[in-house]
Amino acid sequence: MNAPENNPEPENTPWDPVFLDSRREAFIILMLWVAALLWAVPYCYLNGFPDTFDENEFSTVWGIPSWLFWGIAVPWLLADVFTLWFCFFYMKDGDLGEDAPAEAETAAGEVSP
Amino acid sequence: MSSGHLLSSPVVAAAGGFTPALVTFLLYTLAVFSLAIIANHLRKGSDFLSEYFIGNRGLGVWAFALTFAATSASGGSFTGFPSKIYSHGWILGLWIGSYIVFPICTMGFIGKRLNQVARRSGAITVPDVIRDRFRSASFGLLAVALIVFFMSFNLIAQFKAGSLMLKTLLDGVAVFESATDYLGASLGGLSFFEGVDPAYLLCLLGFGLAVVAYTTYGGFQAVVWTDVMQGIVMVCGVIVMLPLALYLVGQQAPEGVGSLEHATLRMAEMSPPRKGTATFLSPTPLEEGASLDKGAWILASGAAEGAEARLFRIIDDSGGVAAGTGWPGVKGLEITTVGDREQVLKNEGDRVRRDLTLGELALEDYAYGAEEGRKGVYVTGPGPSPSSDAGFLPLSLVISFFFMWAISGSGQPSSMVRLMAFNNTVTLRRSIFTVAIYYSLIYFPLVIIFCCARVLMPGMDAESDRIMPAMAVFLTENVGAGWLAGLLIAAPFAAVMSTVDSFLLMISSGLVRDIYQRNMNPGASERRLKWLSYLFTLVVGAAALLGAVNPPQFLQDIIVYTGSGLAACFLAPVVYAIYWPRSNVEGCMAGMLGGFAAHLSMYVGGIWANGSFFRPYRLMEFDPIIVGLLVSFVAGYVVTRLGPPPPEDLVRKYFHKSGSSSGA
Repeated sequence: MNAPENNPEPENTPWDPVFLDSRREAFIILMLWVAALLWAVPYCYLNGFPDTFDENEFSTVWGIPSWLFWGIAVPWLLADVFTLWFCFFYMKDGDLGEDAPAEAETAAGEVSP
Repeated sequence: MSSGHLLSSPVVAAAGGFTPALVTFLLYTLAVFSLAIIANHLRKGSDFLSEYFIGNRGLGVWAFALTFAATSASGGSFTGFPSKIYSHGWILGLWIGSYIVFPICTMGFIGKRLNQVARRSGAITVPDVIRDRFRSASFGLLAVALIVFFMSFNLIAQFKAGSLMLKTLLDGVAVFESATDYLGASLGGLSFFEGVDPAYLLCLLGFGLAVVAYTTYGGFQAVVWTDVMQGIVMVCGVIVMLPLALYLVGQQAPEGVGSLEHATLRMAEMSPPRKGTATFLSPTPLEEGASLDKGAWILASGAAEGAEARLFRIIDDSGGVAAGTGWPGVKGLEITTVGDREQVLKNEGDRVRRDLTLGELALEDYAYGAEEGRKGVYVTGPGPSPSSDAGFLPLSLVISFFFMWAISGSGQPSSMVRLMAFNNTVTLRRSIFTVAIYYSLIYFPLVIIFCCARVLMPGMDAESDRIMPAMAVFLTENVGAGWLAGLLIAAPFAAVMSTVDSFLLMISSGLVRDIYQRNMNPGASERRLKWLSYLFTLVVGAAALLGAVNPPQFLQDIIVYTGSGLAACFLAPVVYAIYWPRSNVEGCMAGMLGGFAAHLSMYVGGIWANGSFFRPYRLMEFDPIIVGLLVSFVAGYVVTRLGPPPPEDLVRKYFHKSGSSSGA
């Protein structure tokens, strides 16, 4: 979602940095969700949904079925590490501003700028 | 203490007086009220509505993180989820797969920007944000209508869940049973209460009045601080249960085999139980009124010479009714796994009745996972299912649930309103990480605990909703710490409470702020708004309480329908509103209505396709949430593109650095 081509650019008013930072961070979070999906679902499906169950083939890691350990537990841990990095080393702080008074309005509910 | 005993008698054995569980509940309620009173006194009084409904945007890290986590983790996390783990096994680890990224998605995706937009508009509710961002009263009213519609149903369902939990907690306590008898006698003849279980009603009154009272009195701050306490109780419950479960499973493990590995290998041997009716025959004539109590275990041999004895558990609410020398057509569950049978015989000992023989049997196998000689169904996908021949979690549903939790979780108005309440971006960053650790400590450990429960307490399949309290008692009593059961049982109770109070406040804020103040009486005095807030919170709570006296049957289904419906309506419009300067009122309204209609149509389609509203039609086998979200985003985009650009001053106000009069 880029800046609106039909939207008149207000003169000398740059985009708000919190808006730009938030949008970039939201995109990265969306990509993280996609990565989690692409790791967990195919891995678990290919390794944890056998047509026939073979006891000799079945393995565990620390007691957890290995398909679930590598498909969910490990990425869960990695996602926590990513969250740590994202929250403390990547995500930008910004001034969110003070509360503005609610917009004036008429008793009939029509909002006026 | 055995599992069989748990089903046939109180979950927390009462010696006629105060039990650890009852004491815990009373202490817990006392703490909740104390927090509400403190919250009410701490209210600063500068702007009543802002303070009452959003805490003046002053939440710090712990308050924000724990209120967010506790509200998101509804009662289902501690009742429905353990029940599903017990019933379907390790596959539930994949079912909650997107919890891997749940905190960062639900808090980080829209949190910072939504908080900023809410500040720039002075909004204190989600409809407020929508109304101001697009300067459209009708859009705001549409948002209020949808929130009130979905959340009212959800509130009733949550009230029922909380009451059932309390009933489990107090079942068999002498004081409670006396009160139940008194209430039953007092209400006799009143048609509204006809057919209502007095014990349930008493619990509903206790639970409902407590929640409504502290929410009404304390407002958002009370909800937040009780959420903090509830969140701590929840995580402590899990942290205590995990080592206890592993310790008890480990006692059964052969030397050299780890606790959890032993549990998994035992589960790999398991086959699903059979459910149906059986006739049990006594060797001697039966006395009139002799019954087979619910929860009783019966090891009955077949009529044929040399037939192997089979193990059954009675699941009939009314118990078997004796006729001649037997009990015909008793509802029961047959345990089909050898290891489970041995475990039950060991747990129950002399309590297993062995003098009966089997008569006529009408038992049904699971639709998936019960094939003769099949193993591994509880440790691999898609997991056993009593009703679907595709199994519990086929691939299409794996993908659907990946959307369901992380994506639809971002679209919940109850989460959004919390995202509008933190004090600064440092709090947001720290809170996201706190919640990530918090959820890691709760959800995957829950999967481990209740996989262990399957090994430790076989035969609970017919009443798996009670597995959480039953397991709490089993674990604590087996390690000689029965008093701990009360704390563990308080965890699910805390989860329901923290969800109910938030929803209650969402609805009343919609009525007071979005409808009354902003549409009917913009000049209403602070004093009037204050009393109206109290009144509406009280009235909404009382109405939900009355609705829950005769609640709809499909409890979990209602919760799923309303949760996914809210996401289908709100996620796309809010994302467009805060991230897309070109978005306009026409497009976002189309996104909201399109999501609502598409999601609803899947459920209505279920009436024709599957015979029930709550068994929705699944387009290409995907859950309705995916259809709803897709339609909402596409409709929002297309209609926005076709419509006129938004007013320049609105874009400047919400997207440009110097656009706000308040200064960003």
